Amino acid sequence: MSDHEERPEHRLRRELPAEVPAAPEAESAAEPKPEAGLTGRRRLVQGLWPPRVSRAQLIVAVLLFGLGFGLAVQVASNSDSDSALRGARQEDLVRILDELDDRTQRLEDEKTGLEKQRQELQSSSDQAAEARRQTAEKERQLGILAGTVAAQGPGITMTVDDPKGTVQADMLLDAVQELRAAGAEAIQVNGVRVIAGTYLNDSGKGVSVDGNKITQPYVFRVIGKPQDLEPALNIPGGVVQTLEKEQATVTVQRSAKIIVDALRPAKQPDYARSSSQ
Amino acid sequence: MIAVLGLVVGVVAGLLVRPEVPAVVEPYLPIAVVAALDAVFGGLRAMLDGIFDDKVFVVSFLSNVVVAALIVFLGDKLGVGSQLSTGVVVVLGIRIFSNAAAIRRHVFRA
Repeated sequence: MSDHEERPEHRLRRELPAEVPAAPEAESAAEPKPEAGLTGRRRLVQGLWPPRVSRAQLIVAVLLFGLGFGLAVQVASNSDSDSALRGARQEDLVRILDELDDRTQRLEDEKTGLEKQRQELQSSSDQAAEARRQTAEKERQLGILAGTVAAQGPGITMTVDDPKGTVQADMLLDAVQELRAAGAEAIQVNGVRVIAGTYLNDSGKGVSVDGNKITQPYVFRVIGKPQDLEPALNIPGGVVQTLEKEQATVTVQRSAKIIVDALRPAKQPDYARSSSQ
Repeated sequence: MIAVLGLVVGVVAGLLVRPEVPAVVEPYLPIAVVAALDAVFGGLRAMLDGIFDDKVFVVSFLSNVVVAALIVFLGDKLGVGSQLSTGVVVVLGIRIFSNAAAIRRHVFRA
């Protein structure tokens, strides 16, 4: 330490002979303690300005360059997000890894639960759609049976010409029964849909179906398998022979497309209620 | 002045170049920077005291850096690296504070 105190003083004097005024010298000699502060500040100012190229300045500049470089590199590498883990120690890394594993596990569980929930919702909505579809299908089927919707398909047309008015309701009823037994799915007679509750009775010269009076010729439009329906009507002793015995003319015609478009209003039963629900 | 310029140029160069820190020196760089800061503050104080010597500064700067890195290296080998690093930083921090106090007394006379 003692040799420091001599040398800088020497150099300062040697380098700055003109800039160091005489007055501070005298003051420093007179009062050493306050002079130290004053000369320190002055030294700082003189060191900063004007710039001088000296060995000491260059060496310090080189070292400070290294310091600034290291500082900037360290700060930059520390502030990089991806290299935040680079300086971490092994136990810290293990802890971070454990936390990440836990977090992954939690998120994985959550994902599994959500997927399960989604599957349940999807299958339940699928089930609801399937139920709706089946219900609609059933409604169509029942509508055909109940006569609330029109139907079309292969079948036969049976025309009964009865110029003498000898055909009676029971004969037509027999024809309807025979057609039903042969697998008829939808029947209409002269614009009246024949359903489960249809009744026929004689009225004057004609026949009334469910209270609707119809007159000859009676035209049955029947949807079913034509190969079954026609033989069922034509069997010996069957409907056709019985009617022809009454002087009526019966023609049965197969057709690939029969349209049954006579409709019945859907009636809500007054007393009967579904027992399934 | 040139010394201050050197510091500024170093910071700018470090920010611009952004070199990859080699894995070997990675744990030592922060401690070395702190040790170098300590040496710089000591040198500044010596300058204000009028006892600055470039040779002393160079030696103290380099030895500070080397010793700090050595301590961290030794601590890592002994398995107490983090604790020793903390200790080194605390000691250097105390020295920096005391040097800064001396500089402050010189500059502000308070």
